[in-house]
Order: sequence, then C-alpha cells, then structure tokens
Amino acid sequence: MLTEDQKWELIDNISRKTVRYGEYNATIKDAVAELTVKPLTGIPMAIAVLYGFWSFFGAIAGFFTDGFMVKLFGGTESFTGIIPWFGNQFTNHESILFKLFIGDPGVFTPGYAGDICFEAGGVFTTGLFVALGVVLPAIFAFYLFMIFMEDSGYLPRLAVLIDTLFHKIGLHGFAIVPMILSFGCNVPAVAATRNLETKKERFMMMALLAVFIPCGAQLGVMLEVVPGYVGMIILYLLLGFFVFGYVLNKIIPGKSPEMLMDVPPYHMPRWNNVKRKLWIRIRGFLKVALPLVLLGVLIVNVLYLIGVIEYLANTFEPVLISWFDVPGETVAPLITAFMRKDLAVAQLGAIEMSVSQLITSVVLVSLYFPCVATFAMILKEGLQSGLREGIVFLFSSLVALFIVIFAWGGLLRWILVLAGV
Amino acid sequence: MLKILLMGHPNVGKSVVFNRLTGANATESNYPGTTVDYEKGYVFIEGHETEVLDVPGTFSLYPKDKAEEVALKIFTQEKDAVIICVLDATKIERGLYLVLEVLERSRSVIIALNMWDVAKDKGISIDHDHLSSLLGVPVVPTVAVSGAGMKELIFSIHEACTSDVKSIVERAMV
Repeated sequence: MLTEDQKWELIDNISRKTVRYGEYNATIKDAVAELTVKPLTGIPMAIAVLYGFWSFFGAIAGFFTDGFMVKLFGGTESFTGIIPWFGNQFTNHESILFKLFIGDPGVFTPGYAGDICFEAGGVFTTGLFVALGVVLPAIFAFYLFMIFMEDSGYLPRLAVLIDTLFHKIGLHGFAIVPMILSFGCNVPAVAATRNLETKKERFMMMALLAVFIPCGAQLGVMLEVVPGYVGMIILYLLLGFFVFGYVLNKIIPGKSPEMLMDVPPYHMPRWNNVKRKLWIRIRGFLKVALPLVLLGVLIVNVLYLIGVIEYLANTFEPVLISWFDVPGETVAPLITAFMRKDLAVAQLGAIEMSVSQLITSVVLVSLYFPCVATFAMILKEGLQSGLREGIVFLFSSLVALFIVIFAWGGLLRWILVLAGV
Repeated sequence: MLKILLMGHPNVGKSVVFNRLTGANATESNYPGTTVDYEKGYVFIEGHETEVLDVPGTFSLYPKDKAEEVALKIFTQEKDAVIICVLDATKIERGLYLVLEVLERSRSVIIALNMWDVAKDKGISIDHDHLSSLLGVPVVPTVAVSGAGMKELIFSIHEACTSDVKSIVERAMV
C-alpha cells in the first residue's frame, strides 16, 4: 500500500496530466458567496435571512390558520364551522363518547364566548384543528423556507458564521447544522449529530437540542397561543442552550476537536427536489404525527374522565405553584407533552391563567421531557454505543433534564416578575 | 446478484445520483453530511434487478465520525459490490484519494465525475479518457441533477474493474 504522501504525489501527477484550469472570471454568484461568509457583511445578512425566515413562517402559517382554518373549524356568523357542526350531531352532550371525541359540553352551549377551536378539547374537534389547522400550515411554511436554505447552500454558510459563538461552548462548525434542523423537527436533528466527531459533542448536542429547541410544529401552535411572546420565548430557550452548553462543556470529560467544514458553492434549488422534500415532510406528518396528536387528545380526555388528571393536579399543584407559579391543571398538557409538544401547547391555551403563567408553562413544555419520537431516536443512538454506555447516557441526560427544568423553568418566573409581564 | 455502492466525499451528489438511478426518495441537500445512514434502492441493468446502496459521504476509509463509520461498515460488509466512486469534478484531487484507497483493497470501481457542468463553468477541463486509461477503470462524466451521463453510467457498470495501484504509479509517474 502507498503511504499518504505517496498517494498525494501520485494524485498530483495524475491531475497534472488530465486536468486543465482555464481562465476563470468571478461571477456575481462568487461575490455573493464571499459576502455571505465574511463576518462584516455576513452577519447582517444572516440576521436578515433569519428574520425573513421568521416573518415568512409567521405570515404563511398565520395566513392559513387565522385566515382560513380558524373559520373553517370554528365557524363564522354565516357559516357553521366543523366543530359546532360536530356538536350539533349529538343530542346528548353529557355522554362519555361526546366528552371524549367532541369535547367539553360547556363549549357547545349557545352564546359561548371563548375560543371554541382550542377549548372544545375533543379528538375530532380540537385534535383535528390543532393537527390540520395549526400544525400542518406551520410545517408547510417552515419546510418550504428551510428546504431553500438547505438546497441553495446557505445552511453551511450560516454554520460558519455562528461557529465563533459556538466555540465558547465547545461545539464547532457542523454542530450548528443539527441545531438549525431541529427547529424543524428534533428527530432528524438527532440523526444529524452522527456527523459530529466525538462522543462528548454528540451527547452535548443531543441533550441541548432535545431540551432547548422547540420544533416547527410547536412554534406554529405557540404563534396562536402566545402571539407576541414567541420571540421572547425562543430567546430565553436559546440563552438556556448556551448557558447549559457552557456548563456541560466544562463538566463532561472528553474533547471537542476543531472541525473544518466544507462550504459548497451556491446552487439554484430545483423545484422538483423542493416539492419532493416538502411532500416527504407533509406525508410524514400525516402518517406519524397526526395519529399521535389524536391519540394524545384521547388519552388525556380518558384520564380526565376517570379522575386521574384531577388527582395528579392536586398532587403536583404545590410544586407547580410554589416553584413555577403555574396552575395545577397544567399537568394535563405536561402528560400530552410526552407524545406531542404542539398539542401540549394547544392545551395550555385552553387553561385559564395569567399571561406570565402562560409564558412560563409554554417554556416548561418546551424544556420538558422530549416527545416520544425524539426520545426513541435518542435512545436508539445512545444504545448504538453499547448497552452500558447507553444506560449511562440515558441516566445522565435525565439528571441534566431534571436540573434544567427546575433551574431554567423556575428562573423565568422571577424574570417575568421583574419585567412586569 | 450484483450490488452497487455509491461512495465519495460528502456533498458531491451521491444521493442525487442514487435518486436518478433508482427513482428513490433519498434526501438531497446542498450541505455536507445530509445522508447519515445508508439508503437502499433498485435499478434494472441489462434486465437484472440490481441493488444500489447510497452510502454516507466519507473522506477516507479511516472513519472519524458515526456517519463515516456506517460508510466503512457497508464497504467492508459488501465484499462483492461494485463501487461507483462519485467525484466532484471541480475538486477531483480530493476524490481520487478515496479512489486509490478503494483500489488498494482490490475492489471493482467505476468513477462518476459529477458536477461536470459546474467544472465547465469554472473553466476546468478534464481529459476523462486519459484519466480512465491512467487509472485503469472507467470514468463517466455526469450531471446528476439534470440526469446527463446517467445512462452512460448505467451502461458502463459492467466495465467496472479492479486496478493495480502499482501499475497506476508506473503509468502516471513517468
């Protein structure tokens, strides 16, 4: 076998004999490529792109949800929406089936003033509304923009720019890619950590993104439930990401070596590929997430009916009130959060509480135990390095999670008091 | 049954080649490390159903992360598979390193010089016939995103062959 040097020498000779480099004139594409990675011009451009992303997400998701879905499900003066229609199909509003699948009979009384879409609470009413009316448009808007960032080649450039910031918490270059992906969904983001070089980096990244990064579906519901505060909530979560990243970097043994990342040339995204990837996401949502949302609603409703929620609410109320200042009823969404965090946020919207309590509980749901799909993925990745290591991995993540929930979740309450929210 | 592995550096277009060959739906993106696990698909070559594996990008056969470990594992397991080495035509030197490593392990290789159009735009011209005769394995220019060269790649797969690195040295170092 040739040594490394011999191989490179051979390659040199081969390329000298076969490759000709002609005159090359820099094009506008190259100028843009330069400007987007140089910090002085790149950072303002990155802020502009991310702000554009955010506006696009809010505008498109809002256009479909508020402009169309809320009316379709809730109804207008001249049109009976899907949810009231469901209510009208039943004469007995007190039956178990009605309470499970259609929802709270109180919502279906004439002249009800609340937000019927979120407050009905049945499988076929709020369940379908959250999945199809709120999350589906959010996922569509999010991935449409995301796919353009992926296919154009902007994503790795963004990674290069944020690199300096990430150095401070011992993560490099490529670690940004899983983080950005995880704003869409944590599951592929956990898979993307396979590109990180050391176990330390992988563990840190998986733990941090599962805890601190809300997914696109969750963000979509947040826009409906706490409009006006979503930006602040994201900032608080990102701050937590860096604070705990810094701490984890200090206490976890191991190295996080410098990693170089290739920045590919810009390509025009191909419409066919964009369409295909968008369809893969939407199909995945309809096949996997939609049943989980409906199942989540059903389970919580059953638990309500048999009194488990009330029992848990009374049990945990002291902790929830004294430490986080959120009402005991939030245990129900916290149970749903095991399955789907988007649904959990939607259920928080139906609980009566103050704005600051709502913000705190939305943050709690985000920090809380990862959703079942993410958890399964993390477990799979953890177990790949052997059973023993997998268990250590799982245990340490749970401890870290517990600390984060209480420290970062509890702190927010006092910040909100100081801020006067 | 013939098996084909798609190997090469990250972000050279392996998944695009894979989707063109098999009609599958592997995720294509413009950043290194999109594929972190292998994908399987099928293509008919001369009437025979042939399995194609899209392997995560790897710089060499000495893995440095999980995704590259997957690549090496598949490479070692599929001993009889033909390797399509996908190279970025704008940076063939880098890709050739992996090609040499694969050839040293006496595997049948065919090279797809992908992003041929980008290379042309950059004023890079590659004498692919000469490259093929130096390396002793077939070399096919491709533009996977548009599908150019894909037919030729499929027709040339049966010409994939091993090549002795010593004789490559003899041919190239004169």
